[in-house]
Order: sequence, then C-alpha cells, then structure tokens
Amino acid sequence: MVQLRPRASRVPASAMVDEGQPASEEEEAAEHGLLLGQPSSGAAAEPLEEEDGEGDDEFDDEAPEELTFASAQAEAREEERRVRESVRRDKTLLKEKRKRREELFIEQKKRKLLPDNILEKLTTAGQTNIKKSSGKLKEATLQKKKEEYEKGSVSKNAKEKVQKVQSVGQNKSYWALRLKDQDLRDSRQEAAKAFIQNSLYGPGTNRTTVNKFLSLENKRLPVKKAAAQFLNSAWGTQKKQNAKRFKRRWMVRKMKTSKK
Amino acid sequence: MGEFKVHRVRFFNYVPSGIRCVAYNNQSNRLAVSRTDGTVEIYNLSANYFQEKFFPGHESRATEALCWAKGQRLFSAGLNGEIIEYDLQALNIKYAVDAFGGPIWSMAISPHGSQLLVGCEDGSLKLFQITLDKIQFERNFDRQKSRILSLSWHPSGTHVAAGSIDYISVFDVKSGSAVHKMLVDRQYMSVSKRKCIIWGVAFLSDGTVISVDSAGKVQFWDSATGTLVKNHLIANADVQSIAVSDVSMVPQEDSFVVGTAEGTVFHFQLVSVTSNSSEKQWVRTKPFQHHTHDVRAVAHSPTALISGGTDTHLVIRPLMEKVEVKNYDAALRKITFPHRRLISCSKKRQLLLFQFAHHLELWRLGSTVATGKNGDTLPLSKDADHLLHLKTKGPENIICSCISPCGSWIAYSTTSRFFLYRLNYEHDNISLQRVSKMPAFLRSALQILFSEDSTKLFVASNQGSLHVIRLLEGSFKHLHTFQPQSGTVESMCLLAVSPDGNWLAASGTSAGVHVYNIKHLKLHCTVPSYNFPVTALAIAPNTNNLVIAHSDQQVFEYSIPDKQYTEWSRTIQKQGFHYLWLQRDTPITHISFHPKRPMHILLHDAYMFCIIDKSLPLPNDKTLLYNPLPPTNESDVIRRRTAHAFKISKIYKPLLFMDLLDERTLVAVERPLDDIIAQLPPPIKKKKFGT
Repeated sequence: MVQLRPRASRVPASAMVDEGQPASEEEEAAEHGLLLGQPSSGAAAEPLEEEDGEGDDEFDDEAPEELTFASAQAEAREEERRVRESVRRDKTLLKEKRKRREELFIEQKKRKLLPDNILEKLTTAGQTNIKKSSGKLKEATLQKKKEEYEKGSVSKNAKEKVQKVQSVGQNKSYWALRLKDQDLRDSRQEAAKAFIQNSLYGPGTNRTTVNKFLSLENKRLPVKKAAAQFLNSAWGTQKKQNAKRFKRRWMVRKMKTSKK
Repeated sequence: MGEFKVHRVRFFNYVPSGIRCVAYNNQSNRLAVSRTDGTVEIYNLSANYFQEKFFPGHESRATEALCWAKGQRLFSAGLNGEIIEYDLQALNIKYAVDAFGGPIWSMAISPHGSQLLVGCEDGSLKLFQITLDKIQFERNFDRQKSRILSLSWHPSGTHVAAGSIDYISVFDVKSGSAVHKMLVDRQYMSVSKRKCIIWGVAFLSDGTVISVDSAGKVQFWDSATGTLVKNHLIANADVQSIAVSDVSMVPQEDSFVVGTAEGTVFHFQLVSVTSNSSEKQWVRTKPFQHHTHDVRAVAHSPTALISGGTDTHLVIRPLMEKVEVKNYDAALRKITFPHRRLISCSKKRQLLLFQFAHHLELWRLGSTVATGKNGDTLPLSKDADHLLHLKTKGPENIICSCISPCGSWIAYSTTSRFFLYRLNYEHDNISLQRVSKMPAFLRSALQILFSEDSTKLFVASNQGSLHVIRLLEGSFKHLHTFQPQSGTVESMCLLAVSPDGNWLAASGTSAGVHVYNIKHLKLHCTVPSYNFPVTALAIAPNTNNLVIAHSDQQVFEYSIPDKQYTEWSRTIQKQGFHYLWLQRDTPITHISFHPKRPMHILLHDAYMFCIIDKSLPLPNDKTLLYNPLPPTNESDVIRRRTAHAFKISKIYKPLLFMDLLDERTLVAVERPLDDIIAQLPPPIKKKKFGT
C-alpha cells in the first residue's frame, strides 16, 4: 500500500504568508491563496512522482525505508502544525465570509430604498402629480438600478478576473457585445471555415466517398460482407424519404389519371 | 460467473470529433489534444495514457493551435480570433484575449517560453508577452499578404519562420521585418492550378527550415540564403502536420515526423551518409499507417511519435530504438473513446441516457419473451424505444449528464448552466418539465450523481465544492455544500454514493478520495492518495466497501466504516495482479455490484467485462487469466482447480458501458468502429492493387 506522505513542505509557507496578511482584504487574500496554491501544488506533485519508484519497490517485498525517530517526530509535528494552521485558516475564512455577507445585506438594504431625492420629490409632490411622474420615476429607478448594476458588475469583474471569459455571470444570463463587430467576426470565421473546407475537401482534393472506402476494404477481406449502405440503416435517410414521397405522389397522380 | 440475459445495445450513435491539434509537454509528460468541436483533453502519458482532464467544447471555438508555455500553462487559439488560457487546476478557462487579427491559424511559444506569437487570417503576426497571470500584446510584425497558417521559432529565439499560401517568410524577431521570402512552387499539383498551402513549418537550430505543404512535399530550405536545399515528395495528397523532436532532448533535432492526408505518418531521421563519416543528411526512414483519414496533428515525444486526425484516433507509437526496456510500454497505443462515462442508466425503468456533445437521448430498452440456452440470440418482442431527444440551448457542449435510478429526473450541465428536468410517465406518454430557478451556485458541474432512492442529487462543481440537494416533487432544496479543504483548488471529477445513502465518495485528478458522511454532513475520512489517478469509484451495498480503480489498473477495496483497506485488498496487493491484467490498454470506467452476491465486483473497460469473485483464489502469473468458459463435461474437480477470481468476458467490444439491470440481466452498450467510420468525412482516394 502506498502511504500518503504528509505534505509538510507547502503549508508552512502559505501559512506564514497568511499570518503576515491583514485579514481585511479578502480578494487579495483569496488571490494570494490562489497564487500560493499553484506552485505549492506543483511542489506537492513532485514528491509524489518521486515516490513512484518507491511504490513499485514496495511491491517487491523490500524492507521499508528506515526512518529515524527524530525525523518521524519532526514529521508528525509538522503534520500537527499543518492541521492546526488549516483549521485556523478555515476559521478566518469563515469569519471573512460572514463579514462579507453582512456587508452584502447592508448593501442590499440600501439598494432597496429609493434614492433620497426621489423620496423627497414624492413627499412634496401633490396627489395629482404622482400619476404623471410615476413614469418618470420608474425611469429614474431603472437608471439607478442600471448604474448600480454596472458598478456591481465592474467590481465583480475586478474580483473574478478568472471568470471574465464567461460573461454569463452568476445573476445575468446574457452577453453584451456590439452587433456590428460580431457580424464581421462571424463572417470572417465563416470565410476561414470555408477556406479550410475547400482546401481539404474541395474540388481537386482527390477525395473518395466513405462508402467506396469501406467497400475497398471489404473487397480485400477474405470474408465478403454486404456494403455499408445496406447494413447501416442510418445512411441516406433523406434520399429514402424523398423516394418514398415521390412514389406516393406518383401513385396518387396515376390513380387520378386512370380515373379520368 | 453466472448466466445473464444481456441487452446488447448498439444504437448509441456516438461519433467522437476529429483531432485537430496535439501538444506535448516534456516536463510533465502530458499531452494536450484539441478536437474539432473545441474540446481540449489532457492525457497523462506517465499514468498509463489516462485522460485526466478535459475542457468541454464550444461551437464557435474551433481550435486551430495549441501549445504549452513555461510553467505548464496551456494556450489555445482558434478561428474566433481569441487566445485562450486554460486553468488546469480548476478545469475552466482562465481568460480569453482577442488578438484583433481575424481568425487565428497558428500559434507558437518562444523557446524561452515567455513570448507567444500568433498568425492571423489577415496576414498579421502578433507578439504577446506572457506575464504571470495574463498575456499582454507587445507588437505586430510586418504584415503579409495572406493568412499565416504555420509558425515556428528558431531555437535561439531570434528568427521565426511563417508558412503562408505559396510562400514561407523568415522574420527577424527584433525588428519584426521579413528577412527572406521563399516561394514554394506548385509543380507537383494536378491540372487545376491550386494554390500551395504551407500546412506546417519547423525551424531547426542550424538554420534549416522544413516545410510541409498541400502538394505533398517536405522541403528543406536554407534560411540564411533563402534557397531550397532538398525536396522530398512523399504523398499524392496534402502533408498536413510536422513535429520535430524537442530541443530539450538529447541528442536534439535528429528526427522529425510528418503526417499526411492519406493517413500515413512518416518518420525522418538525420543519419550519416556512409558509416563512420561525419556528414549527415535527412532520410525518410519509417512510414506508419495507423490512420484511415487525414493526420491533422503530430507530436514528437522523446520516445514516441504521437499522431491524431480526422479519424478520431489518438495514436502513440513508441520508437523502438528509443525505448530502453522492451516491455509492454513499447507497444502501440490507440485511444479512441473518452475515458469517462457518457451513459447512465435507470435500472427501475430500464432506461438508458446517452450523452452527446449537444444533445441527450433517452431510450427504453426492448424486451423479449423468448427463452433460450446459453449463447442464443433472443428475438425482441418489443423494440427499443427512443423516448426523448433533448437538445441543449446555446453553443456549449455538455460536460456531464445523469438520469436518476427511478428514471424520473434528468440532470445535465454545460460550462455556464445547470439543468434539471422532471420526467413524468403516463402509460406510453412521457412529459418533461424543467425545474426552474436553479440556485446561483449551481452553474457548472463536472459530475452529477443521484442517490439510489433518487431523493438526493450530488453535484461536483468546478470550484472544488460538492453540493448536496434534496429533490422534492418538482422542486428541490439545497441541503449542504462540502467546501474543498482550504489551500486546494482541485476539482472533483468522480462521485460515488453508497446504496443506503449514507456515504459519498469523491475524487479529484490527483489527490486522494474523500469520503463524506451524508447523515452528519461532514468529512468522514480520506483514502490515502495514490500515484495514479482514479478512473472509477463505487461503494458496495451492505458492506460499504469503497472500490477504487486506478489508471495503472490497480483495484483497491477500502472499508469506509473501518477506515482501512479490506483484507482482500491487502491480499491482492501482496500477491500482485496478473501481468496480463496490468497490461490492459484502457482504464476501468465503471464498477457495479451484484445485489445478491456480495462477493462479486463487476467492472469493465473498453475491451472486456470482468466479474471479480472475491471468494475464489487469486490468479498468479502462471495461470490463464482470460479463461474461456470451462467445458461442461469436465469433472467438477478440474473446474474448481482452474477457477480463479477474475472472470473475464471479451464478447462485447468496444464496450462503452455495462451495468446490471437486475439479478439476471445485464445491459452492454457497444460502439462498433465501422459505424463511426461510416460517419466521418470522406478520406483520400487511394488505388489498391487488385480492386
């Protein structure tokens, strides 16, 4: 059995950086975690690869490699420390998460309220005015929401650099793009595809059909089989349908003429 | 082994898409493969050629170039004009950068790994600087008249060769201007004056530029003078790809490989003209014909030639002179099917759900009333029904799909959306209802699994977290999310749930298997990680033993309640598996159990189906592993003596899925290769003598 080595080397490093890190900037902390995670995971992969040979040896009934008490103890301590650190880190992460959520709630509450100036207008405006201004008001709130939304999306973009590609965000199901550019891009892409299709399968490329190709193999086989077009019912469905339709029409026509 | 009634399913009309690019990374010994539908797959060549990771495709993302940069970063570029970097840990796309030069045809990373050069449709060459977490546009090279189809850096990084239509240009990187323009003649062409497309170039350190073109030529040019040195006409059709042995290899640049549209791969080597002379020249040494269609991409690893093409096979051909030990690793490998499951099955209603790139198909299995003896083919009294054809919205490919064991739920996921459907059956009618308002955190799943009683849904998202969702009639409730351990970003790709619904096992690509207690919603234990990735997981009923198959064909059994490997697992590890078992090509993709026979483990790969009977003695290397059915007339003693734990059937192949429907019925889904060929694009016409 291959035993898991405690990944001693990587955690202290990240933990130490974490300690130095003020716990306020969560994005930065997260990014740090990410940055640290990548090289450290690489470092973790290496010892595993080294173990590769060992793992094979172990099956060959060789004695396990000797470990001095001191190193084992150090390893165990390291492991313990690692666990402690990870628990601590989890806790701080949780704390941060809560804090973030609280902030979000406050933000949401703010967002729900209409802006002050509109509220003021509402109170000052007479009963008659309200009907008129309601349309305007809607527009205003819409505008406001839009602004906020944009702000939100900007900050989100800053936060989630990674997910910028899939601009289908968590709460929006659309992409924003200029149609003019997209048309140009699509047409260029189509042209490129047409070029590759033409140069690989166009005239003068000396292509055969799949059926001929398969029958060529069949001809050289010691045991001859039926051609693929007869074996595979999925082939030529369109043609078969057309033929059926033609036959039906033809029969109807014949019947009509014969009646006359 | 026991006798089974087998549903032999051949109506899974799955056609893998053709291979467009391959890129080999020497440091990690990994191979990146991109397909025509935009899918990118990562194969780990040191883990028995296992497909560890994949990035689902996208309709508008036709990948035309793929390369590795320093620090094992993977980039791709395609006809939508974007350069994409992939996040190999979280299994998603890190970012996409528009190159603003129209469709991108070619891309090359500088020898130092810090710069990236793309060749565009409009004839521009754009140099990007690779920074720590992004790429940054640096400058343009002199613009050419037509599209840049191929690129290659000089190993010193000072010059670049770019293949276009009818000519090859050599650029000076510092000034960005063209130093030489070498015209390729079209003289070997047929009557029609077609343009000569330079499909690939390679720049050697001695200044030689090798070009392959649509006229079937491999040409050697001197980049200092811009003259043609040598010409090999090797095919009547296009030569589409070239790869030189890596600069980091020793001795470097003594061999290269080209792939042609006829499906032939040629190996060229630098050999001495006469023995004991120092003068060397390039000689075409070995042709290999492992493909039937165009070879669109080749790669050269230190020990093997790797090729892939329209016929969807990835072929790894080890070079005998480079292999030190002549063992099974020196054998040819052909990878056709993905190393993951595309099929899920509802045992209760006898339904199969097939996953395609852009749609799902639901089939009801046929039935028969006839009986027969062993080996008979029974006539169907009721044909298989195609119940449902579910098309996805949008251009993204499906990542994973699952049908619940009761058959009334279907879930699937693309990169940006997660879909859950409720199915209602009324006699022969079937109605489908989408469960709307999926929560925001359920956006993209790498694996979906329903619990055995179909009341819970487990989703492995690509952020490494596992969501547990309770399913109610037509709605759902989020129960819990298992967060990944802090400090890890690895995402889970395999899930298994115990039939009693208490345990959930999840495994990523490299770290160990985590077992969660669903009742108490906490991590129960972690199975020690093993050097090779996990290919299949399953938890046995009653005993709650977790069976884990690894890509090196080892099978472990781990008792979840006891938190240790079982006695049987220890025994088999002590004795070792049969050598033929370890030499199988394809990984085990599915494990299941017999409800009435707790000692049996059922598993399969693409070429065999096996029942491991733990009560029988293990085979040693001298015994026959693939034993045919024991002759019935032999005495019981002999039969018992020859019997061993591994009962293997190779009747069904290529086998994509096999599962137990009930105690006496199996379902096997096969995909014959001929059916795949029948749906591929037309191959090149070749004259065969005697036909």
